[in-house]
Amino acid sequence: MGAEAEKPAAGGGNVTLSFLVFETPNLDAAFWDAAIARASAKVPGVTIKKLVTPNVDRTGYAKQLDASGNLPDILQSVNPAGFAQAGKFAAFTADELKNFVAPTAGAVAGKIYQLPYNTQVIPVVYYNKTQFAEAGVTETPTTYQQLLDVSAKLKAKKITPFVVGGGGADTWADMYPLTGTVATDVYKKTPDWLTQRAAGSVKFADPAFTSAAQKISDLAKQGYIDPAGLSRSYADTEQAFRDGKGAMYPMGSWFATSADNKKPDFEIGAFPWPSDDGSLVVPTFTGGGTSVSSTAADVDLAKKWALAFDEDQQNNDAFVKADGSIPAIKGYKPPADMGPVYKATVEIYERGMAENAIVNAFSQETGDGSLPPGLADKTAVAVQDLITGKKPTSEFTAYLDDQWAKATQ
Amino acid sequence: MTHTRHGVRGGDPPAAHRPPLPSGPTPLRDRPPRDRPPRGRRRVSGRITTFALFALPGLLAYLLFVLVPIGMTAYYSMTNRNPFNPPTKWVGLRNYAELLGDAEFLKALANTVVVTVIVMVLANVGGLLIAQLLDRPTRLYVALRGVFFTPVVLSSVVVSVIWQVVLTDDGLLNSALRGLGVEDPPGWLSDPGIALYTIAWVITWQMLGFCVVVYLAGLQGVPRELQEAAAIDGCGPLARFRNVTWPMLAPALTINTVMLLITGFKAYDQIQVITNGGPGTGTTTTMAFQVVQTSFNGNRVGYGSAMAAVMLVLVACVSVLVLRVLQRREVTR
Repeated sequence: MGAEAEKPAAGGGNVTLSFLVFETPNLDAAFWDAAIARASAKVPGVTIKKLVTPNVDRTGYAKQLDASGNLPDILQSVNPAGFAQAGKFAAFTADELKNFVAPTAGAVAGKIYQLPYNTQVIPVVYYNKTQFAEAGVTETPTTYQQLLDVSAKLKAKKITPFVVGGGGADTWADMYPLTGTVATDVYKKTPDWLTQRAAGSVKFADPAFTSAAQKISDLAKQGYIDPAGLSRSYADTEQAFRDGKGAMYPMGSWFATSADNKKPDFEIGAFPWPSDDGSLVVPTFTGGGTSVSSTAADVDLAKKWALAFDEDQQNNDAFVKADGSIPAIKGYKPPADMGPVYKATVEIYERGMAENAIVNAFSQETGDGSLPPGLADKTAVAVQDLITGKKPTSEFTAYLDDQWAKATQ
Repeated sequence: MTHTRHGVRGGDPPAAHRPPLPSGPTPLRDRPPRDRPPRGRRRVSGRITTFALFALPGLLAYLLFVLVPIGMTAYYSMTNRNPFNPPTKWVGLRNYAELLGDAEFLKALANTVVVTVIVMVLANVGGLLIAQLLDRPTRLYVALRGVFFTPVVLSSVVVSVIWQVVLTDDGLLNSALRGLGVEDPPGWLSDPGIALYTIAWVITWQMLGFCVVVYLAGLQGVPRELQEAAAIDGCGPLARFRNVTWPMLAPALTINTVMLLITGFKAYDQIQVITNGGPGTGTTTTMAFQVVQTSFNGNRVGYGSAMAAVMLVLVACVSVLVLRVLQRREVTR
């Protein structure tokens, strides 16, 4: 945000840098204030001016700020696609990334513009053990057919199988069933599918992607996803699951610690989104850290502060405890007192690593091989057409191809 | 300028106190110098300078925050400006040509018209009815006027958040309906067939108080003697309203209709907060929302500017047209 350089930091003075963050039920104002204070204590000469996005769409808000010439100096979890190519973000050097487990994750033309500080599994299917028991389900599904069988049993007991939200500005919250089916039906066979889409060798209207989208449409048609849930914001969706308004909640791994910290009156379990043949597929995203504007008053100091923020042990502990992140910092170990839902989530991730079953999480990717800027939001909106039945799958995929063309012209 | 016992200091004395004008040629010592303008002209130019000084801040603000952005929008609308895909190139009218075949934009335009018409009709009718009910001099009715006006002074975002809490599936309205035995209450925000009307209702609710106040002001300007004369002539309440009150409310109708028209065409906040344009593609997308989405989420600033330019021209043309039509029926007293 055109940092106000009060005095050069090298002289022991003070540089004020703006830092864009977003607040969620898990990552509240107190969380950010404490984390900022810890990083600032490690980097003398920096005063951080916290900016909060009006909703969780920090990338969209960063674009608006950029358009008005007010791009913040440091940005948390903003998709660098577009910003990086336009030279608006500063690249981190290999030396600066030496402490990260996946120093090339989310690279744009070989360079890193967002610190790959954590891994998230997207989605994990969190489920209500009490409602599963009521429906006579004794084992979690491992194949897609078993998932349908479980859903049928739940529906027969008048329990809504899936809680899916996406109301208000939180449209993104409806994406996770599709992210699951794209992982199992598309990315498992073609891990670089989006790179191929960029090259024009595949399309959304192709059978593989259509099959993944059709599954979502069918889940809604069979009454396994309640379209009325689309009016719920992200926070309300989480609350709806806690209130027992549905038995399964496909959500990012950040829900795990929320589930542990604010326990509902039932036990929560977790399983990965099932594939047709029952083989394990674990969609993940690694990245999500801070980025630095190339126009920050003191880019080097801003990068130093960003690294201090993302590498700080206490900050990572706080991210783990508040947001269920799986830090991707070398040598980092999560606190031993983590709850059972977090442990179950990490166990899914570790199984995925052990079985070489990790794929990208569709629409969450950053860097090369990601959706063009703005298309993830469009996709989330279009998913509602599948769930409400407003559009058949063929129109949904045609829409995505059309939007891809517009976004890249 | 200060008033004195003899008139205005610095100006001419009143005619009664003026010395008689000399009949012969003006003595040389009394003639104004040739290079100085006559006294009256100096006074006029002084006034112009004063007015200009007073108007300057407003004019500058208008220039900077209205005219310059309009000019920039017009310029960008003829480019392919995309901050993430430089360089920006001049494309002439290509963006406007694309708009004509853009189904998303046309859908947004249609939605905007629907919302605007609903808001204009409901807020006008509701506002007039409520104003009639509140047109009483007692304290209770004066207090009620304040109650009805409250939504107008609230931020649209606050109003939207309130209605979101009321209208979500687990919200107050559906909980009440379920409590009354309705098993499957409507998805006010999640049903693509209803959501647009829900948005129109929220905007109507917020603007209702404005219409009430304007109609109340109009009602208080209707002369009692006209009402009484009509009553003596045998007019009942309905006939008095049709023949006396309604024609006298024409200026209020004009103000309300034009304001509601502009509000409807500019609808953005409520959609951003309550539905984000959904559920699904284009369901509640209005022109203003589409401009922001295209420019910032889609990064197509040039194309979004063309949408904004079309929106500006549309709002201006329709407003002027409606204003002209409604002003024709206004009564001049």
